[in-house]
Amino acid sequence: MWRLPSQDNGAVKKIILFLLGIITLLSGHGQEPYFREHPVGEAYQDVSINQVLEASNGFLWFGSNQGLLRYDGREYEQFLAPDSLTNNQVRAIFEDIQHRIWVGYEDGRILYLEKGRELELWQLEEGLPTVPVVGFAQNPNGLMWIATYGEGLYYYNGQHLYNINNDDGLLGNDIYTLVQDKEGRAWVGTDGGISICSVQDGKKNIENITRADGLPDDIVRTLLPDKSGNFWVGTYDKGFCYYNTARQVFEFPLKDWKYGPIHTMELFDSLELWVGTEGSGLYRYQLRTGYLQSISKGRIRPATKIYDLHIDIEGNIWIINNEEGVVSANRQFESISNEVQNIQAVFSGRDGKLWVGSQEGLYYFDEASGQFHLYLQENVLSLFQCAYGNLWAGTFGNGVFCIDLKTGKQRHLTEADGLTNNSVLAMDGNDKDVWLATLGGATHVICRQNIMNAEQLEVDRFDEASGLATNFIYTVFLDSKGRTWFGTDGEGLNVLVDGKIRNFKMVNGIPLNAVYSITEDDRGHIWFSTAREGVFEWDGEQFRRLSVKEGLRDRAITSLIADGKGNILIVHPSGIDLLNPLTRHLIYYDSEIGIKNMEPNLNAVCPDGYGGAWIGAQNRLVKYTALQEKLSIHPRIVLNQVSVFLEPIDFWLKSNFSYEENNLVFQYVGLWFTDPSKVKYRYQLEGFDLDWRYSSDQQAVYSSLPPGHYSFKVAATENDAFDDEPMAIYRFVVKAPYWRQWWFIILASLLLAGGAVWAVRTREKRLEQEASLKRAMVESQYEALKSQINPHFLFNSFNTLISIIEENPGLAVEFVEKLSDFYRSILQYREKEVISLQEEIELVKNYAFLLQKRYGSSLQLVVQTDGQQGYIAPLTLQMLVENAVKHNIISKSRPLSIEILSQPEGYIMVRNTLQKKLTQEPSTGFGLHSIINRYQLLSERSLRVEEDGQYFCVCVPVIKNERT
Amino acid sequence: MPKLLLFFIFFSLLAAAGLPLKGQGLYRANQGQLSFKSDAPLELIEAVSKSLRGVIDPAKRTFAFSVPVNTFQGFNSPLQREHFNENYMETAVYQEATFSGKIIEDIDLSVPGTYSVRAKGKLNVHGIEQERIIKSTVESKENVLIVRSDFTVLLAEHNISIPRIVYQKIAEEIQVHVEATFSR
Repeated sequence: MWRLPSQDNGAVKKIILFLLGIITLLSGHGQEPYFREHPVGEAYQDVSINQVLEASNGFLWFGSNQGLLRYDGREYEQFLAPDSLTNNQVRAIFEDIQHRIWVGYEDGRILYLEKGRELELWQLEEGLPTVPVVGFAQNPNGLMWIATYGEGLYYYNGQHLYNINNDDGLLGNDIYTLVQDKEGRAWVGTDGGISICSVQDGKKNIENITRADGLPDDIVRTLLPDKSGNFWVGTYDKGFCYYNTARQVFEFPLKDWKYGPIHTMELFDSLELWVGTEGSGLYRYQLRTGYLQSISKGRIRPATKIYDLHIDIEGNIWIINNEEGVVSANRQFESISNEVQNIQAVFSGRDGKLWVGSQEGLYYFDEASGQFHLYLQENVLSLFQCAYGNLWAGTFGNGVFCIDLKTGKQRHLTEADGLTNNSVLAMDGNDKDVWLATLGGATHVICRQNIMNAEQLEVDRFDEASGLATNFIYTVFLDSKGRTWFGTDGEGLNVLVDGKIRNFKMVNGIPLNAVYSITEDDRGHIWFSTAREGVFEWDGEQFRRLSVKEGLRDRAITSLIADGKGNILIVHPSGIDLLNPLTRHLIYYDSEIGIKNMEPNLNAVCPDGYGGAWIGAQNRLVKYTALQEKLSIHPRIVLNQVSVFLEPIDFWLKSNFSYEENNLVFQYVGLWFTDPSKVKYRYQLEGFDLDWRYSSDQQAVYSSLPPGHYSFKVAATENDAFDDEPMAIYRFVVKAPYWRQWWFIILASLLLAGGAVWAVRTREKRLEQEASLKRAMVESQYEALKSQINPHFLFNSFNTLISIIEENPGLAVEFVEKLSDFYRSILQYREKEVISLQEEIELVKNYAFLLQKRYGSSLQLVVQTDGQQGYIAPLTLQMLVENAVKHNIISKSRPLSIEILSQPEGYIMVRNTLQKKLTQEPSTGFGLHSIINRYQLLSERSLRVEEDGQYFCVCVPVIKNERT
Repeated sequence: MPKLLLFFIFFSLLAAAGLPLKGQGLYRANQGQLSFKSDAPLELIEAVSKSLRGVIDPAKRTFAFSVPVNTFQGFNSPLQREHFNENYMETAVYQEATFSGKIIEDIDLSVPGTYSVRAKGKLNVHGIEQERIIKSTVESKENVLIVRSDFTVLLAEHNISIPRIVYQKIAEEIQVHVEATFSR
């Protein structure tokens, strides 16, 4: 058997290998994973895809004759070069360290795509190639390799683009393939062999591997590094080979290749190499067995050209060919259908041979030919191979057939040999023991080398009498701690520890009833399935249930089996669930792997010897492979776009929104290529939603978001359980409008408070003013009144009256009339704030008349107002005249002249000659003061008082309106 | 030494072409023009040399150019030119700047037309040789090739060190423009 090339191969082994190689060229029928097509759809009818790249965020990018396409499992989105008049034929796609997508075109152009942007032409001084760009790679220092078909290899160091071609020692300018080794060197396949290029301190270094070095063919079409750093080499004529870089030798897994040029290859680690040919379809080469199998029987048509192969993070193999376009299959599960009906037992033997028990008989499966061969015609229910290589086949009603596979010799064991019953439902065992679960209890057979010949079988019988809860035993399981577990019909779980049987009939208050299947996880926990209550886990002390509520899909579980990666496979009629015992994460597999309604049979499962399992069903055999690759068990959740009012934004840069930008749409996608239709979402806008929202849509719409801090969280699931699914989180802030910002509120309240204070103050001032005006008025009225009824004035007036009453009674009458007019005027006007100028002048004239009669020519009053209009505080002029009379000497020799004159700018002036009395009359000085005060309140203009030695003048402002 | 090198290149080109020295196939230029520009934040320096010489073999798609460094005229002052020659380019030691190599595109330049070509070759400035790809347009007329090219030279790549003090006055990246008419 040809094993991994890194292992030491002896010469003999090589010969065997060679022979095997020839034999295995038979393209086996065998098992095949379930392929699903991914049609590009109506919109892209003429698009022919030829490249695939899985981006780090999970999206698949396809290169086509019509540009770049992005695929989320459901839909394709096209990305065209900006000036699409030119060629859009993509020849290479690559994602760099900064997650930019680089695209090489047929015409030599190179474009790149940054997140959220459009494809942009790579602008550089050196110009771009003019021949097809066929590959990219980037080494850890950031140096970018660019392979062309016609101009050799380019590299870009961040400053300049450099070229390596024929002239530098490259084996050919036409490069087919570019890959990088662990040191970051570029390996290119050309028409002349493999060139290994590196750049050190600006110096090119080229090493060549040609036919002289053992390369089977000059033309190297594809290179594929494996985990160990060695390379698989696909050639034009001579098939593929394996190059051991340490020993620098080529190893030939297959001679005599007759399927033409190899175009592409892909590798499942330690498992198999997938080989896509130029026109002879797809093959896979199994590393463990050396079998080459054609994958061109089922979905994939033969004689196709395979453009590209890719293994994604879910374990799907993607195939791009010229017939079906894009096809994928989950490599973990393969089926063989309609070969053997009603499979009841499977067992993978120590030599890797698979045995299958059905109602019709015992078969073995020849993996090379893909054929089943009938070995024994019995209704086989259970299978086991003991330490001595004998195959034990348990039948329904006919005991056990023990078969020496080397000689073909059989021994038929029955109740007569000590079996508890002739119907053997299950078997398990170890180096020295074989346990049989029968309808009459459990039989423990001690296994000896001579079992085929020994007269007496060494047997222990366990039944109801020995402590088993019932004699109907469905299954027996030997755990890693030497315990023997029994699944019973209706009586729960029984375990034999140190010769004692313990029964678990009720667990956590739940009656177990029938226990069908038992397995053990890699922590030593026992898992078992029941007829109706789901699955239970026993950690040595406690039981924990896994029911439908916890995500179990089907209660009718037929088998449990642990794989080599620590998972447990739960087999039931709805499909297969892959359980992570630690996290209890379940992945459901059914129609996407082609096993819907597969009708599995009870405990028809077995390990495949490599961590995988075989599962038998009504009319098919399913093989589960535990892939070495680290697989994602979660859909990758990508927040794709955030739009504000339907306008996409650069959300990875922007997280602050104004209060008006409050209509947001989040577009996301959960990438689960195994079965995109299973993807469901839940999302929550923290700060808005109180709970998760569940949806199958790929967008969430929020309108009229109030200002606040938000986190948009979205998770995708493929199995309806969200507990451990990763989330995409986008935090953002909708800012309050400025009128709700703290600074504005403070400012506004300050302004408001200021305004209020101002208003109150003005009002107070106004009230105060009004009050003082009133007071001044009252005071002036009082003063005027007081002065007018001054006894002195009356005395003088009466004296004047006496002096004229006889001489001139007519004048006396007039005098008395004037006096009475004067007092009436005072009484009439004192209530008013203002009176007209005419009225005041009239009043002054009356007053002057009274004075005139007393002083005669010693007092001269001139009034000259030129018809000036306006208003004046009552008694102002009168009081000024009175003051003049009061404070000045009035005599014949020094007559007092008082003038009332109109002044410009709306003033009226009272002017008298200044001839002050030597002894001042007692005065409160209130008169003038009172006038000044009143005018302050009445008018903006104030009284002007001037004294220049000759004159004493007071200018009184005339108020224009009656009310100010 | 550089002159010798250039001669060697010429000679080897001719030998490779299998042509006698007066070969009909070769295009030559004796009066090409090469100008450069240093666009630094504080100063723009420009200079030009009309002494660019070159030879192109259209059959082999090979070429060689050279320019004596001391033939550059222009600059902002005579002192600057002196500095250029003595301090930076060390013209006395490294007398010529050369570029020689092969055209990447498989184009027959003797056929009239205008071509965009990329020349891959060794650029020797200040005695330091760097492999470069230089993009040019070549206008081919009857017996005449007009070559125009723009490219940049990074001073650091050619060991031309700039004292800190004039850092703001000299660009790290010198823009070069070449225009030469070749005839056969």
